[in-house]
Amino acid sequence: MDELMEILEELRPDVDFENETALIDDGVLDSFDIVALVGELNDAFDIEIKPNNLVPANFNSAKAMMALIEQLQDE
Amino acid sequence: MKTSVLAWLDRAAERFAGKTVFSDENGKITFSELNNYTKSIGTYLARLVSGNVPIVVMSGRHILTPACYLGAVRAGCFYAPMDATMPISRLNSILGVIKADFMLVDKEHLETAKKLDFCGKIIIIEDIIDTQPDEELLKKASMGLTEISPLYVIFTSGSTGVPKGVITSHHSLMCYIDAVCKVLDINESDVLGNQSPLDYIAAVRDIYLPLKTGASTVIIPKNEFSMPTELFETLNKNRVTTLCWSVAGIELPAKLGAFDCIKPEYLKKVCFSGSVMPCKYLKIWQDNLPDVLYVNQYGPTEATASCTYYVVDKKVDESTVLPIGTPYENYSVILLNDDGTQTPDGEIGEICVKGPILALGYYGDVQRTSESFIQNPLNPNYRELIYKTGDLGSIGEDGLLMFHGRKDRQIKHMGHRIELGEIEETAKKIDGMGECCALYNKEKEHLYLFYTGDVQSKDIVLHFRKVLPAFMVPRKLVALEELPKLPNGKLDMQSLKAMFK
Repeated sequence: MDELMEILEELRPDVDFENETALIDDGVLDSFDIVALVGELNDAFDIEIKPNNLVPANFNSAKAMMALIEQLQDE
Repeated sequence: MKTSVLAWLDRAAERFAGKTVFSDENGKITFSELNNYTKSIGTYLARLVSGNVPIVVMSGRHILTPACYLGAVRAGCFYAPMDATMPISRLNSILGVIKADFMLVDKEHLETAKKLDFCGKIIIIEDIIDTQPDEELLKKASMGLTEISPLYVIFTSGSTGVPKGVITSHHSLMCYIDAVCKVLDINESDVLGNQSPLDYIAAVRDIYLPLKTGASTVIIPKNEFSMPTELFETLNKNRVTTLCWSVAGIELPAKLGAFDCIKPEYLKKVCFSGSVMPCKYLKIWQDNLPDVLYVNQYGPTEATASCTYYVVDKKVDESTVLPIGTPYENYSVILLNDDGTQTPDGEIGEICVKGPILALGYYGDVQRTSESFIQNPLNPNYRELIYKTGDLGSIGEDGLLMFHGRKDRQIKHMGHRIELGEIEETAKKIDGMGECCALYNKEKEHLYLFYTGDVQSKDIVLHFRKVLPAFMVPRKLVALEELPKLPNGKLDMQSLKAMFK
């Protein structure tokens, strides 16, 4: 989780990732943030985020992102 | 001859009355309803103003926004759209240039509007759309419109830190729409999927092609561009046939692998502009949708959206460099050397544009207008203005124009035009900032800021986020003891570029 928070913090230091739960629904993260983030997460966690993983539910909060990462690591 | 875009609106409202013109995630609006809204808004405004003044419109991604633009026109005025999601200080600097007395704002952005340095009257859109239209008054209000009256003022990055307001006339806009309409063969059966923010130049296609042809435009919610499979689902659900998107927007679904899951089924035409298309992404589109017409467009806001186009007539691969092609109808392009002489074919010169599509200049800025819009140095015989784009180009043996980058430090990033100097001017205002240099790593699409001084990178980003639009905020911040210099004391940008990771 710490590693994820570090990536998020560097990506968007202006966002409160601890508490935000509607990062996509409220448009806090835009499409360019997502492109950058997907690349970084794939590299950092040695996973491959597929297009069908790219749904708001998986990216609305840091917790949801962590769950997605863990799920993909198990596969 | 049509005097104003109102002629298109009137005709479309008659011919396509019950047909949908605009839709968004919450609803849709027919040509006839759109027409009525413009008359209501126009009537309300015409009671307040005597025409030919700017009306600021700060309204979201929904169907009422184009109605406000055209409502301002019905009142004999022109519109200056603003994106409410921009930082307050940037909105204020736009207001400082446009000096408008009236602002139309939707309820959603009313709170933002109240925070701005705006002493004029704020008008809530939802409160006036049921105003009883006064046909006599509207007729009188639009009497003063000529084809060279301003239609809109759209703001773009300025190297000094103050945005420039590009003024476009009815005639210029209609010339462009006529020309692009022919190339894309748009008709009433087409459905356009809007990506561009509605305040941005690229949206003129999505707004005005329907008025001219009876086509419809779907305003796609912004957050769907983060989630590419949802985006394609929306295209399919709405049977979208035509995309006029930024290169960045076309790249996104290809980059994120959306085609592995779903394909847009109704697409026939894809037109892209705003920056150089990396052909590895275009190839993915072509592989998946081989029968679609792909059109590469090039052009600055100052020459009304786009001035040249190239119909991609073969399969591309990663190494393909697309030409920017040939001028649209009513556009003329010449290449000039620095001394004002004509660049011979095959050599590189500055791309200059002429024709009835030239902007009327920068709002309230005679000086910058006269620097960029000049007498054609090749014509000693009569008054003929050209716009110097600052872009470099060459004409190949096939007669097609090729693009070779910029003369200055303007870049294209995520489909937006950015002056690197504007980022530096902003950075210099941060406490503790020493020297700084903004650079662009084109390959990775990362904006860099190299800097010296006693300031944390986090604080720099926080400051940027407060004053600059998101696409202008550098992703990579590199703190250095000192910035490398050339023997003449100027910044050594090549050494800095070598530090790109």
